[in-house]
Amino acid sequence: MMKTYIKNATIFYLLSRNALKITLQGRMGVIFFLLGKIIRVLFIFAFLALVFNRTRLVKGYNFEQILVFFLTFNIIDTLGQILYRQVYRFRPLVVSGGFDMVLLKPIHPFIRILLGGVDFLDVLLVIPYFFVTFFIFAKMEISSFHMFLYLLLIINSMVMVTGFHISILALGIATTEVDHTIMIYRDLSAMGRFPMNIYKEPVRGFFTYIIPVSLMMNVPAQAILGLATPWFILFSLLISLGLLCLSLLFWDYALKRYQSWGG
Amino acid sequence: MITVNNLTKIYKTHKRNGNFFKDVFFRAYNELEALSQISFEIGNNELVGFIGPNGAGKTTTLKILSGILYPTSGKVSVMDYTPFEKKPSFLKHIAFVMGQRNQLVWDLPSRDSLILQKAIYEIPEDTYKKNVNELTQLLHCADILDKPVKTLSQGQRMKMELVVGLLHRPHIIFFDEPTIGLDIFSQEAIRDFIRQYQSETKATVILTSHYLEDVKKLAKRLIIIDKGSIVYDGSLSNIIEQYSQEKLVVVTLEKVIKKKEIDQIGVRFSYTFPKIIFKIPKARLPEKIKKITQSLPFSDLTVEDEKIEDIVKTFFRKINS
Amino acid sequence: MIALVQVFKITVKEYAAYRLNFVLWRLRMFLNLLVNFFLWTAILDTRTQFGQYTKDSIISYILYANLIATFVLGSRTAEIGYHIQDGSIINLLLKPVSFFKYYFARDIADKLINLSFAVCELLVVVWIFKAPLVAPHTISVFTVFFINGVLISFFVNLMLSFIGFWTPEIWAPRFLFTVLVFFLSGSYFPLNLLPDFLYYFLLATPFPYLFYLPAQALIGHIDPGLVFFQIAFSFFWVFALYKLTVSLWKTGNKQFSFWGR
Repeated sequence: MMKTYIKNATIFYLLSRNALKITLQGRMGVIFFLLGKIIRVLFIFAFLALVFNRTRLVKGYNFEQILVFFLTFNIIDTLGQILYRQVYRFRPLVVSGGFDMVLLKPIHPFIRILLGGVDFLDVLLVIPYFFVTFFIFAKMEISSFHMFLYLLLIINSMVMVTGFHISILALGIATTEVDHTIMIYRDLSAMGRFPMNIYKEPVRGFFTYIIPVSLMMNVPAQAILGLATPWFILFSLLISLGLLCLSLLFWDYALKRYQSWGG
Repeated sequence: MITVNNLTKIYKTHKRNGNFFKDVFFRAYNELEALSQISFEIGNNELVGFIGPNGAGKTTTLKILSGILYPTSGKVSVMDYTPFEKKPSFLKHIAFVMGQRNQLVWDLPSRDSLILQKAIYEIPEDTYKKNVNELTQLLHCADILDKPVKTLSQGQRMKMELVVGLLHRPHIIFFDEPTIGLDIFSQEAIRDFIRQYQSETKATVILTSHYLEDVKKLAKRLIIIDKGSIVYDGSLSNIIEQYSQEKLVVVTLEKVIKKKEIDQIGVRFSYTFPKIIFKIPKARLPEKIKKITQSLPFSDLTVEDEKIEDIVKTFFRKINS
Repeated sequence: MIALVQVFKITVKEYAAYRLNFVLWRLRMFLNLLVNFFLWTAILDTRTQFGQYTKDSIISYILYANLIATFVLGSRTAEIGYHIQDGSIINLLLKPVSFFKYYFARDIADKLINLSFAVCELLVVVWIFKAPLVAPHTISVFTVFFINGVLISFFVNLMLSFIGFWTPEIWAPRFLFTVLVFFLSGSYFPLNLLPDFLYYFLLATPFPYLFYLPAQALIGHIDPGLVFFQIAFSFFWVFALYKLTVSLWKTGNKQFSFWGR
């Protein structure tokens, strides 16, 4: 057990090291990519500041609260991209038949196709997100217990993110379609960068109960702002576990249907 | 070692009928039987060649044997494992080398792929060093270990693919078209390597190839698959015996002669000075050779088997008629 | 001209062949529109005025800007960068059709297909979510801004692909441009809500001329004190970017032959 753990950690380290080496080969890409992402976040900040310059509350939320929602979304979204960047490269692997070689290795394929391409550029971004978030928490005088709860719920959200990514991989095996699915996942989850209350029904219900974007992106922020009941938090924990289990079942099903393209 | 019993594999492909909504929501499927009820056994240390036309089911068989594909029905056992379960202890014993697949990291030197492979297969440091040395010596490619894969030629890349793929000293190796797309020198090098490697490690090898030359030079046993069924399973010499009706007699001439003079031998031939190649039915061989030696001014004469391609062609003509 | 009509038809057919891809792409665009629409609806939940805008005019701005952006930004030119990379651009250069006209025809096809979907999406928002939409105003001024916006976008898009003559990392500058466009061109909010000095500074860049000013014209928010200056500047950018694109194309071509691909 321990041995397998060390082995997997070693392989994860080697894959990440390779990913870093490859990233550093394209210097212009590194600079533009970082610049683009930083600008995007700063612009949304500026936009929110612009709005709250003229109004004190939006749907009952003040500036700091909206920022907490927005930053929470960014932390979860970025963590997902850091860890699961390899999913974006899954289609070429399936279409070329390179996925065959992955299946032949005596390690779990997720190490290679899910975690095998850590995105170091996003690591540089997630650190300031955390920093700013906790700075706001400190200003709001939030207790350390709530901060701990917040971190736990971020992990819970990551379980959901994992479930979604595994499902995308499974769908990729069954249909060879990955690129659009992942982008639609990104766009859907981006609906959660603001609190769900801003949407009207039936949109809001759809994103809470059918595709649980709201549970994935909003719950940690709601909890720390005292806007979620313990029952609702428990509900979100159950949903994320259920989602993960379902995605694993889907994965097994897809592997049996895998037809090994490109050969 | 390998037992296959009544193995069937059916592929489902999505049938498009051009209507967007129908295609997305009410999919129709075509079923294609890639393998139908095949059975065979392969013992320890055998080197078996799989041949057959495109789409006959060769690669599908290898992919089921290695656990990539899930069999529709039938029993497959490899070293007493069920391949699809993909137990690490099973996967550590096998290797699958595909001529047109790449498992090397494209942007980085092969050494990075080797280090990764070492971790994945949990190869101890000293064994790793020893194996890398041996493999790179056999393939004469130690000098390209530190070049980025994208800068290698196709032949060099295939060599590195072999070093990476066989680093863990597998007991069973599946080679799928290992020489495809390579120039003749690289083909020869890969072929020599496989032969040498197999005799040294006593591994069980299954090989598919379009180039029958590969099979002829490497395999003693031949399995021919056509339309998902095994149509021949036996020794290579046996099939040559049975289906080769002609021998090639290659004559090297001392001086230029007229075509007319060759015509009088009375068999088919092709002639470009100084070589004549006669195609002679086996039964008439002694008689014709005698005639050649008596009437043509030659410096050299050899008798060769018909090309394996032609023998297999004859074979397919016979089974299909 | 007949050749260009053919190019147009082929581009439309390419879309028909990959219709699932296209429908999914439109779905993504629709989701982005929804977020923006709902955000503004929420901001204006309890008020009728925001800065110089009424609730109706700002929602109309968001919807019109989205529609115009779909047409102005729609482009097939991104593929040029990859054609330069793999050398297949040669095939195009050897055709007896002007390269620029060829791609303009392709772009128009792309724009029209996307626009037809975007119109339906807009109607969905108006019907289902009862979005207020003011009737179009000042069509003449709109038309001038609109045509210039299309040309500016075309030249910028071409230049972003010509970068491929010098570096393989073509995706990076385009990514940055896309990020900048979303904010500096006014997808999220009308730019004159910005502090004055920022707004005037932006007016000197090409960004507002893509779809911010056409959308402003449509909702009838033309600033009489600035409009002549704005029109003059939009012509200036069309001309300047045209010159720059042509010169980049020429130097790039020379660069290209050096590689001898």
